[in-house]
Amino acid sequence: MPHTEDSTEKRFEDIHQAFESIKQKHRDDLGEKDVRHITGIRRYSRVFEVIGRGLIWILPGPFALLGVPFLFLHRNLEAIEIGHNVLHGQYDSFEKIPQFHSRKFRWKAPMDEAAWRQEHNGIHHVHTNVYEKDPDLNHGFLRTNSKTPHNKWHWFQVPIYLLFVYPTMLYNFDAQNLGNNDKFRERRFPLGNKGYATFENTEELSDADRNKRHQRAVWRVWVKEYALFPLLALITGYGFFKVFLANLLADVLNNYWIALTIQATHLTEPLQPEEALRNKGKWYISQLDSSVNFKGNRWQSVLWGHLNYQVEHHLFPDIPAHRYPDMAIEVQAVCKQYDLPYKSNRNWWQAIRNYIGVLWHFSFKDAKPTTEELCYLKQGVENVK
Amino acid sequence: MLSKWSRAAHPWVMKILGRDWVEYIASNTMNVVTQKVDPFLWTYDCKAEVVAIRQETPDTKTFVLLPNQHFKQPLPGQHIELSAVISEGEKAESRCYSLSIIDENTVSITVKRNPEGKVSNWLHDHVGIGVVLNISSPRGAFIYRGQEKLLFISAGAGITPCFSILNALESTAKRPDIAFYYRSRTPEETIFRSQLESNKVRSPVDISYSRSIEPDDRVNVMPNQLMDAYPDIKDRHIYLCGPDAFKKEVLSFLESIEYDFDNLEVEHFVRFNQDLTTLRKLDEDVTVTLKSQNISFVIEAENCDQTLLEAAEKKGIHLEHGCRSGMCGTCRTNLVSGQVSGNQLGKTIYPCTAYPASTQLILE
Ligand code: FES
Repeated sequence: MPHTEDSTEKRFEDIHQAFESIKQKHRDDLGEKDVRHITGIRRYSRVFEVIGRGLIWILPGPFALLGVPFLFLHRNLEAIEIGHNVLHGQYDSFEKIPQFHSRKFRWKAPMDEAAWRQEHNGIHHVHTNVYEKDPDLNHGFLRTNSKTPHNKWHWFQVPIYLLFVYPTMLYNFDAQNLGNNDKFRERRFPLGNKGYATFENTEELSDADRNKRHQRAVWRVWVKEYALFPLLALITGYGFFKVFLANLLADVLNNYWIALTIQATHLTEPLQPEEALRNKGKWYISQLDSSVNFKGNRWQSVLWGHLNYQVEHHLFPDIPAHRYPDMAIEVQAVCKQYDLPYKSNRNWWQAIRNYIGVLWHFSFKDAKPTTEELCYLKQGVENVK
Repeated sequence: MLSKWSRAAHPWVMKILGRDWVEYIASNTMNVVTQKVDPFLWTYDCKAEVVAIRQETPDTKTFVLLPNQHFKQPLPGQHIELSAVISEGEKAESRCYSLSIIDENTVSITVKRNPEGKVSNWLHDHVGIGVVLNISSPRGAFIYRGQEKLLFISAGAGITPCFSILNALESTAKRPDIAFYYRSRTPEETIFRSQLESNKVRSPVDISYSRSIEPDDRVNVMPNQLMDAYPDIKDRHIYLCGPDAFKKEVLSFLESIEYDFDNLEVEHFVRFNQDLTTLRKLDEDVTVTLKSQNISFVIEAENCDQTLLEAAEKKGIHLEHGCRSGMCGTCRTNLVSGQVSGNQLGKTIYPCTAYPASTQLILE
């Protein structure tokens, strides 16, 4: 069939409708099941917390390490399967669980909720992989495409990120969401923020407010992990530093885990055109093109906050995440029908390797190609069935 | 009723920590246990505890309230909305009350018993110290705006917002030129009489009685004699508050002297909790209330084809949003009452792709 303007428009519209109908089906089905899921996860999180903190508290010396995995599980569930998903508003429509409504929820993570909602939901999810628009595309000082100007920091991006940034990932994200990374680049980079998305101060916060919000987000975690629980141990006759160090370890593991989960699910290339947003069909395609899944079973997926279903998450960010495994089957069918990209890695390890490969590639000055050319929407609709 | 222990602790906690820190700590430690331990602090709602009650006149009481952390610091002259379930199983009733006294951690409402009034009778008869009330954050535009010459005209319980502005101004260094006219029935029924007559108030205060003659030879100024009492009345900004009949009387007098109505503030209560969900007709305006931001705004009939997000932005109100096309979920918020058309999921609505459908909309 010859391709005309009209037939491409119709194609985009069909694609839009196909994804909308998957979304609608799950919206109609929301109910008790979703409430049970989130409250169930919270219950697990509490149990892990009690076991983890208990073991760390009472077991002598290195044996206290036995508690760390449990504490890690608690912090991890709270941070992503609960926190991330709740702050997307996935559970807003259930009246009886106000504690899981996106505007009321408080994260047990060093992240300011309102700033995160704006940066993550309002910008990253809308302008995914758009050059100078998506703050998560190259957060901090990362270079993940050849369009971003190269400077000397980028030569070392792989070791610096693996050794220093990922262990403190959430803290860095909070700084980014409140605009502190812009200041770093302004000071250190010859071209300042060129090639990077800058902070959009939608709440019109003053510097003092931003600072206060950042401090408050961080200190609520630190006081609990590094003062309250170590002190409780101390006054009951156990070791302060034992608890302090075990909590620190759980904190670092948690940050690292989350960093590797989210980094490995954004291929970071190809860059997407900003105009995609103007057409819903194109927007869905650009989301497909900038996300990549990796496989895991149901329980593993919970530990990744279902972000290993990044494709589904980016298509339907406000549908409860535990539904993504089911939605994936439907999404794949649509992709097949319209010959759309559906990217998936065999496992987490492969996803991480691919991702680090990209980081490594773009740490060199004249890395080619410009990733824009790989963009599905830019390849010309003629290639498309 | 709160336990004795928490009753003693609340004023102290609010005083030492302040609302901002209490909010930070309580919201980050909210869970089923803390919510049971102290539902006054660990709550998502704005509440206030009655910490003292004073009889002002035979039928008027002042309730001193200690609000929790969700309360915003009020401006003198503002009011709160109080909602209460008066009889078991019925819908909550809501009323607005001006704040008569504003202190650092407490605020007061002064309530006159209205023989037919449900809420005022309930407050007088059933509310004692320690009772926790559901209130709103302060709101209203009956506030001082830096004018140099003022005249307060009030009657009956309408004195409350005027009294609170007067109090605030009396203690400022550069006190404006204030005149205070208050109409009451009898000396016994005069609210805040002793405060008004004490020498702490340096501005001239004129109390006139409708039902009794003062023994001294004070002139009893009638509303239509205001011009004689205040020859410079036309140069003064007027703050008017009182029963409807009184307000009408004063307004028609002001009209007769061709007073400039731009300089007039009339107290006007903004009620959020009234359920007025009627479907909108094509030519009707819509009032939208944003509870979290404690504001409301009107969408004119001709603009009702705009999305809620656009309409709010037109009025300079910021709503969280992202894609503006119903896909990212950033804008979602919950409907408290009213109806919308377009993108919605149960009580959750997407302002970027939803349109007003009832004359009144209340959003979380
Ligand atoms: S702004 Fe994206 S859904 Fe409304």
